[in-house]
Amino acid sequence: MHEYAFFLGCIAPNRYPGCEASAIKTSEKVGIKLLPLKGASCCPAPGAFGSIDLNVWYAMAARNLVLAEEMKKDIALICNGCYKSIWEVNHILKHNDELRDNVNEVLAEIDMQFKGTIDVWHLAELYYDDKICGVQKIKDSVTTPLSGAKVAAHYGCHLMKPKKERHFGDTENPMWFEELIGALGAEPIQYRNKMQCCGAGGGVRGYDIVHALDITNEKLINIQEAGADAITELCPFCQLQFDRGQIEIKEKFGDVYNIPVLHYNELLGLAQGMSPQDLALDLHAIDCTPFLQKVL
Amino acid sequence: MAAKSYNIPELDKKLADRRYHLSDTNPEFTQKILKTSRTIANMCYQCGTCTGSCPSAPRSSYRIRLFMRRCVLGLENEALTDPDLWLCTTCYSCTDRCPRDIAPTDVIMAMRNLAFKRDIVPKNFLQTVQLIYTSGHGVPNNDVNRAARTKLGLPADPPTTHSYPEFIKGIQKIMDHYELKENADRILKGD
Repeated sequence: MHEYAFFLGCIAPNRYPGCEASAIKTSEKVGIKLLPLKGASCCPAPGAFGSIDLNVWYAMAARNLVLAEEMKKDIALICNGCYKSIWEVNHILKHNDELRDNVNEVLAEIDMQFKGTIDVWHLAELYYDDKICGVQKIKDSVTTPLSGAKVAAHYGCHLMKPKKERHFGDTENPMWFEELIGALGAEPIQYRNKMQCCGAGGGVRGYDIVHALDITNEKLINIQEAGADAITELCPFCQLQFDRGQIEIKEKFGDVYNIPVLHYNELLGLAQGMSPQDLALDLHAIDCTPFLQKVL
Repeated sequence: MAAKSYNIPELDKKLADRRYHLSDTNPEFTQKILKTSRTIANMCYQCGTCTGSCPSAPRSSYRIRLFMRRCVLGLENEALTDPDLWLCTTCYSCTDRCPRDIAPTDVIMAMRNLAFKRDIVPKNFLQTVQLIYTSGHGVPNNDVNRAARTKLGLPADPPTTHSYPEFIKGIQKIMDHYELKENADRILKGD
């Protein structure tokens, strides 16, 4: 069993608890144990905090990292936004002595020190990594194949970009997420401009919701055109933007899509036999029933 | 090489002067951005790949290339007071495609940091600061969600600062070190 400190973030535990529950249960079936990271906070939100004062962003993310360092465990998480804060600040502080000293000066006030002893992973990259899990192991864990369903992959931005600082390779047309979707028996579909942003990031959802929704709307048009039965993503904030966003788009623009939006962990949960109730799919703004009828 | 003469004294004088100068240029602005963004913003040659990659560009007047030019020319006021500064979703498409290996996204983040120092910042950013200061979460738990969590067999509050509020003090100390909450409260009050 590979053990990780599970960094929850905000939107997964506080808006889509099915993401949290499914992450814990599905990962255990493929040899990954997620342990609670006690006292963790918001990552903090890279758009909101990074925009205001990068120094506070470094220090606040470092505090979360130190909690895991004290556990002597690598961090696993399920949100691209958290990945941006936690992975990137870990990376920056490991390689930039000046910033690290500045951060440690502040952390000393609360008897903490960033040592740089752990690594940070998105659960999806652990699923894809043959050394930890791998696509075949995911495939073997499936008891209810999601056959017949066309699923659109939304990679999101902050997991893979900027590519020269990350380790995922191509960011123009990657296919690894599609492999993970295919392992569940679903059909991953290609659509126009698939790497486009969901529109919510950088504080734009809060600053100018119509602008953010207009970006989301463009993605939804492309996804609908390709005949998707559902959208899956790796980020609860993208999930919120696509899910609640469809209600807001209906109100503001009059466009109706009704495409269910599920986090990859929720999808994996369904494929491993978890019930819609186990995933709190009723909390989703867009009704998942048509999708569920197709696959279950 | 001497500038061609057009026999218009004022124009000839301007053409003879090869320095680029505008009255509101601040060279320090460029330097500050280079330091905060840790990217070579001054190497931008204005090809426009960034704007061409930008999801915000087709639906607004936000032009990342324009902000890159403002950075190079030190046009501080023009950059920091433009409301379009806050329309970047930080998707990093421009950064991945920049042929000069610049990170325009990080230039925007640096400009936003400098704008905040002048109290220029949209309200929603400050409200997030206040939420995290009191609860540790930018999106805190609520009763509907607590009920749903319990049904799933999860603790009503996640094992974060919500279950361990004793950790909030440390978060507040970090934010107070940078006077972040104080400034957020002050700016919001001024609105």
